[in-house]
Amino acid sequence: MEKLLTNYYETASIILFGVGFVTLLLHSNLIKKIIGMNIMDTAIFLFFISKGYIYGKEAPIIRGVHKGIQGYINPVPTALMLTGIVVAVSITAFALALTIKLYEKYGTVELDEIMRIRGE
Amino acid sequence: MKNSLILFPILFPQIAALIMGIIKFKNNKRRNIYIGTVIVLNLVFIIALLSTNQSMDFHLIKINNLLDIYFRIDKLGILFVLLASILWIFTAFYSFVYMPHEGKEKRFFLYFMLTLGVTVGIAFSGNLFTLYIFYEYLTLATFPLVIHSGSKEALRVGRKYLIYSFGGATLALLGIILIFTLTNSVTFMEFGILQGLTLDNKDLLLIIYMIMFIGFGVKAALVPLHSWLPAAMVAPTPVSSLLHAVAVVKSGIFALIRVSYFIFGSEVLYEIRGNYYISILVVLTILMGSLLALHQDNLKKRLAYSTVSQLGYILLGIVLLNEESLTGGLLHLVNHAVIKITLFFCVGAIYFMTEKKYINEIKGIGKEMPITMGCFAISAISLVGIPPTNGFVSKWYLALGGLEENKILFAVILLVSAMLTAGYLLPIVITAFFPGEEKKIIKKEPPLSMLIPIVTLTAIVVTLGLFPNIVLHLIEDIVKGIV
Amino acid sequence: MDVAKNFPLVIILILFIGAFIMPLLKNKIYNKAFSLMTIGISSVLSLITLVYVNRYGTFLYRVGHWDSPWGIELSIGILEAIMSLLLTSVAFVISWYSVYTIEKEIKDNKVCFYYTLINILVGALLGIVYTNDLFNAFVFIEVSAIAACGIIVVKDKKENIKATLKYLILSSVGSGLVLMGIAFIYSITGNLNMTFINKELSQTFMAYENSILISLGLFTIGLGIKSAMYPLHVWLPDAHSNAPSTSSAMLSALVLKAYVIFYIKILYRMFGEEIISQFPILLFMVLILGSLGMIMGSILAILQKDIKRVIAYSSVAQMGYIFFGIGLGNTIGLVSTFFHILNHAIIKSALFLTVGSMIEKTGQKKLFALKGIGKEMPITLGLFTVSALSMVGIPILPGFISKFNFAIGSIKGGKSIFVVVILISSLLNALYYFPIVINGYFGEENLEGKVFKSKEKTIKELMPILVLIIAALILGASSNKIIEMISNGVEVF
Repeated sequence: MEKLLTNYYETASIILFGVGFVTLLLHSNLIKKIIGMNIMDTAIFLFFISKGYIYGKEAPIIRGVHKGIQGYINPVPTALMLTGIVVAVSITAFALALTIKLYEKYGTVELDEIMRIRGE
Repeated sequence: MKNSLILFPILFPQIAALIMGIIKFKNNKRRNIYIGTVIVLNLVFIIALLSTNQSMDFHLIKINNLLDIYFRIDKLGILFVLLASILWIFTAFYSFVYMPHEGKEKRFFLYFMLTLGVTVGIAFSGNLFTLYIFYEYLTLATFPLVIHSGSKEALRVGRKYLIYSFGGATLALLGIILIFTLTNSVTFMEFGILQGLTLDNKDLLLIIYMIMFIGFGVKAALVPLHSWLPAAMVAPTPVSSLLHAVAVVKSGIFALIRVSYFIFGSEVLYEIRGNYYISILVVLTILMGSLLALHQDNLKKRLAYSTVSQLGYILLGIVLLNEESLTGGLLHLVNHAVIKITLFFCVGAIYFMTEKKYINEIKGIGKEMPITMGCFAISAISLVGIPPTNGFVSKWYLALGGLEENKILFAVILLVSAMLTAGYLLPIVITAFFPGEEKKIIKKEPPLSMLIPIVTLTAIVVTLGLFPNIVLHLIEDIVKGIV
Repeated sequence: MDVAKNFPLVIILILFIGAFIMPLLKNKIYNKAFSLMTIGISSVLSLITLVYVNRYGTFLYRVGHWDSPWGIELSIGILEAIMSLLLTSVAFVISWYSVYTIEKEIKDNKVCFYYTLINILVGALLGIVYTNDLFNAFVFIEVSAIAACGIIVVKDKKENIKATLKYLILSSVGSGLVLMGIAFIYSITGNLNMTFINKELSQTFMAYENSILISLGLFTIGLGIKSAMYPLHVWLPDAHSNAPSTSSAMLSALVLKAYVIFYIKILYRMFGEEIISQFPILLFMVLILGSLGMIMGSILAILQKDIKRVIAYSSVAQMGYIFFGIGLGNTIGLVSTFFHILNHAIIKSALFLTVGSMIEKTGQKKLFALKGIGKEMPITLGLFTVSALSMVGIPILPGFISKFNFAIGSIKGGKSIFVVVILISSLLNALYYFPIVINGYFGEENLEGKVFKSKEKTIKELMPILVLIIAALILGASSNKIIEMISNGVEVF
């Protein structure tokens, strides 16, 4: 329990991941599924970025004087997650576009409805 | 390079078959001449090959010790290849007359020639892997023959045939892989390749032997895996006769001889008591086959079950593991091939002339087709094993083999089964010749070109009975080298 | 000769730059020619790279001359070179085939996008194969996922969109898990370069056993979803059966394989054999799931009524073999896995293309409607038959060789009982492939009313499939050399 509290970033991100995963799996509404997917991605970003964060250090942006390596947090995870966010956004956009298409064809975004229509 | 000539009799019929698939013949006669020439030439070539050199071997592709396509001629192979090629010629000439009646002759003859090449390949295989390849290939090549008529029933049977054969071959492959991991070799050797092996893993060896025996036993119609054989009777008669007499079931037997004597070796088999467990299945095969044959009304089905039982004799000869029994087994392999093919030709001739398939329909047919039914009677008597026919000779050796093992049981079983054989074959002859009621007799003898193969084969049956020494010497020679 | 070291990057660049030029070329013909040309050039370059690597050994390439822990590094050994040759050349043949047929399956105005996507897809897959950097691999995985979804949805039918969405969502779950795994690894080692991670881990892994196990699990499940490891295959049958045939071939033959390569890299390059052997449960799970896939995939395939779904489920079974080989955890298992990847890529694309031509010519997808097809399209079904025989494992054909190696691998690994799984699975394969062939060629009723060769494609259009079959035969015939080469590659992996 104590471990969970000291590593509260990680705990939070794992909880978020779980929320996202469950949303993704259990909802039949496609929009909700995509939201779940996004929550999951966010959880991973949080987790990753927290790995690079050092308490009390600044973001690695040099304003005026360069404080030396000691002054800043690890920039790599942040940079990576920037890329990760871009990827996640593009996937989301693609998924939403497909959802719109699907809505045009079937008239609904509920997966179980779509299954029923296909079954008929 | 001279050794590569060994490939010729394997490839020649197959290439000829493919060529036949491409070119168009002006008329059926020309096609028949072509086919006849190919098959006879192949036999001539084989004889020429054997007379120049009796021990040839050739590696076609060698990837490693297992994945090695290797051909070798040895005496057992010679026996098998001669038997197959000679009977093939008879079947070919018989089919020229018979097949137009079934239709789709071109397809039939294409696969017919293909199968000849494959059978020769089985005979000349120098290791288990090559044998396995040709064994699988044989299934594929004979499959179109089995489903020749193309009816729903034929397709259903064809599926059964494929599933049984592939299942068996898969089991055999499992055995081959296990053997390979034990010995790092699968090449056939007289007295087996497992001898040097320390025998602390007897159980494993026993399991492997059982797996392989059952695997190859599928094609040899080992009970309880025999049911594809009677079902396959939907095929045209020449196909059934070939399947029974030489190509398929005898390949299974041949593979079993190879496994038992050239991989395991009789001594190892004694040690692991492999023969003991198998002989139970074999006895079952003999008795079940005969009993089931008794109440078949369809002529071909009755012959099919008879084959199951007769194959049991040959298997018995193999698993008894002594010289007499193996001599008897091999002799019966030859005799049964010749007899069964004659019987099938006769039945085929009846069907060809009268469209009759059932025993109750053929009352009095002996008067209408005296020559055909005469040949049938002679062959039937031979199969029962009444002296001085050839069936008697082989059964005599089998019984001797059984006695040498101090197992009178086997001799008794042979006797019982001979009775049963008489029980299912002689009624056919009796119904044919003694109809009980007189009616007008119309001669319906089949055409001469169909009679000639039948009569010649019957002559061979008789000759083999009177002078068994012709093949006996060759067989004794083979047996001495491997037991 | 050292110029060959630049080729991997050049290949990726050619493909990607080509991809973005293509939408600018309005003409369809130019598009096709351009796509074929770029993929063709890449396969030639891959071949040269293979020759180079074979002679001089593995090399590392620093992208943009940044030294390795900071910059992105490409690592090209024999295996990577073989895989890139496979990916590019099979992609080339499939695109060659698509040149003749693609208009029949997708709308005219989509054709240029289709080729753009193909180029992106192949480029991204090559990136996954080459890269030695975890995060770089992740980006390529995402790119390939989008491109793969693109080539399914390009057909623009209801079912396609649904299948694509399913694929997209599941595959992004998969990549999410992979990213999580990367996060764990990064937090332990502070590195993204696989070689460096391996160095760090081999010193400190005792302290982080749990984290390593978690990240191994995350990678396995994440990549398992992407490469259709049973029971994570649910997206595959829909996606592969609804896509245009050329896309199905591409997806089944190439896309699944790249992720497997990445998985093997993670296991053996990043974690290393020492760490993997600490967690025998992992490989055992992979082995069991592989075996289950081999059996269940085939059983599910038997139950299908739609010919493309049969072949799609057969992919599930074949991926089972591939995971089976990884799960064996010995060198032979790994070598057979690689050989099976080659074999399956070639044969499965041939199968999808032949089936594609049958569907195109007859307009029928159902198995019962394709009876008697052998009379109408004898050559096509003949090619199908050869591929099916290889799948079933008839000797000499490459399928037999890989199955045989799997069997030897499992015996040598002390898991003899799994040989039975292999044999049962090949029997099951026979059960669903043979009826197609038999009903195609034989049967009075089936052939009734069919006209001989009435629907056959021209030889020109069948050439690509013929090339694939010949390649498969060569693969089978020269298998000992190829396996030797793969073994050398595995040793230095």
